[in-house]
Amino acid sequence: MSFSMIMQLILSGIALGFIYSMVSIEYTLIFNSTGLLNFSHDKLIMLGAYIFAGQFALRMGCGYVISTIATILSMFIIGVLMAKGIFNPMRNMASPIFAVIGTVVMGRIIKELCRIIWGATAFNIPGFMKGTFRIGNVMITRANTYIIIVAVLLVIALQLYFNHSRSGKAMRCVQQNKTAATLMGINVSQNINITIGISAVVCSIIGILVISLFSVSLTMTNMIGIKGFAAGVIGGFGYFPGCIVGGVLIGILENLSTLAIPSVYKDCVAFVLMIVFLLVRPNGILGHKK
Amino acid sequence: MKNKKTVKIVLVVLLLAALLIFPVLDKNTYHQLAMAQTLVNIIVVLGLNFITGLTGQMNLGTAGIMALGAYSGQLMVQKLGMPTILTIPVAIIMGVLIGYALGWPSLRLKGVYLSLTTIGFGEIVRLVITNWADFTGGTTGIQNIPPLNLFGLVLDKTWKLAVFLVVVCAVLVFTAYRIVGSKYGRVFKGIRDNIEAVEACGINVSSLKIKAFTSAAIFGCIGGCFYSFLMAYLNPTQFTQDLSANYLLMMMFGGIGSVPGCVIGATAVTLLPEVLRFTQEYYWLIFGIITLLFVIFLPYGFISLFQKEKREEAGIFKILIDRKGKRRGTGLSKSGGMK
Repeated sequence: MSFSMIMQLILSGIALGFIYSMVSIEYTLIFNSTGLLNFSHDKLIMLGAYIFAGQFALRMGCGYVISTIATILSMFIIGVLMAKGIFNPMRNMASPIFAVIGTVVMGRIIKELCRIIWGATAFNIPGFMKGTFRIGNVMITRANTYIIIVAVLLVIALQLYFNHSRSGKAMRCVQQNKTAATLMGINVSQNINITIGISAVVCSIIGILVISLFSVSLTMTNMIGIKGFAAGVIGGFGYFPGCIVGGVLIGILENLSTLAIPSVYKDCVAFVLMIVFLLVRPNGILGHKK
Repeated sequence: MKNKKTVKIVLVVLLLAALLIFPVLDKNTYHQLAMAQTLVNIIVVLGLNFITGLTGQMNLGTAGIMALGAYSGQLMVQKLGMPTILTIPVAIIMGVLIGYALGWPSLRLKGVYLSLTTIGFGEIVRLVITNWADFTGGTTGIQNIPPLNLFGLVLDKTWKLAVFLVVVCAVLVFTAYRIVGSKYGRVFKGIRDNIEAVEACGINVSSLKIKAFTSAAIFGCIGGCFYSFLMAYLNPTQFTQDLSANYLLMMMFGGIGSVPGCVIGATAVTLLPEVLRFTQEYYWLIFGIITLLFVIFLPYGFISLFQKEKREEAGIFKILIDRKGKRRGTGLSKSGGMK
């Protein structure tokens, strides 16, 4: 067991961990503003990847920059539509169960639409984010570098938006107290529409980033969707720094676990950690209490 | 009033008789299979109703529960040569174990934790069954499952199993109906509607939540056990997240929290895709759109068409009533204002 191999595992673990962190951030946005969990979020990530790869990059042959912008715009619109159709009507119902079922059904419809429009076979963009960098003995793939850079930029951008812009501050108000926000003249429903739109944008960014890790297919995001939930619980549910810490921790531990246990059980690590944390430290690693 | 009850009982008995005769008369194996599948689904949904419908805790691990119920019994039959009839008690024991092992960490806490734990649980079960190939058969699964042997009466044909399932299902529906009407059922509903009030009455909320979850797991495991006999083949790819979501849909389609609603929902959601098969590759999409419309416009399910209060609480009827109110110029609707 050489040092460089462990470094290698940790580096790729950090990259994957940032993916989990972003997944976790994306549903925490919705959870904080509506109190509902979006169970179709993995399907939204998949849709982002399909729109980017299937529609813009391959079918229409656009450049990567244009495709990214177009994907982000279309996903924002889809997010706002979902908010208008499902989240806003359902957040005031007696029980959150209805909204959960609504999002699950929505996810299924998205999956079926993808299957009908882009076909059921998996595909890939040739040469997209391929290649490696070398630092000393450690190799790092180009995709992992991009993932880490984009994730850090995204977190900074979200922080700036929530702390310094007018609409971001309004969103935090809505998260804390909806009645008070209404009294201060904030349009709560519209605010939630935009929040879910932003969440869909984050989904699309994740979708674009994971294309090079997994090929574009109908089941590409099943695992990262669920592990994102685990990341939230481990870091502290509904708390952004917790999302990042939890995600990166899962990513690293999952990769290092292959040294000790058979690598097929790698995927179980996140869920076992989640249950252990619920037993021992339900507030998460950072101990944030709402 | 008494007359009404007699009519109801007569109707139920007639329905049962019809269900018992149907698989004997109809020789079409496809129809028999669809019927048996519906009955299995009814059992599982009745269980899910305790924890999600009545107690209001989201359970998304039904597939994992079913998988454990099915695999534990069948593996004992295959490896230890256990009589097939004993798979049912094994499934029940498994249900109790799952209920306590999973309910205890997640149900002591308030909030979304049960839904997350159950998702994780379902995935762990699926991954372990897939990858522990020496013991569970991996992706090739367990093949050649022997038919259920009821003390000498071998249920080797689908119609025989269907008749037996009608009996089991009737017993379990009656049990579920009585549990819903018992003091436990009322406390379950109380936890869903106002947890503080229940706590203030001196009731141990987390213990009752765990009881509700355990009964859900027991019903799920029994359902899984019969599912294994019905299919005569087990494979981990059958027990995905999608299956769990399907059971939630069934519960909502009929009417959350009501036993007849669950029966109607399970029947509708199991048979609707089969009916829609003529639309070929679009049938799953059309099914999805129909269910989404149901969620948005009739959230309390089919059964709420017969219950005035629930009907007007949400969905299409509420929208219609709000419209009417606005047209008459009464201003704010009942639930309007700031939220």
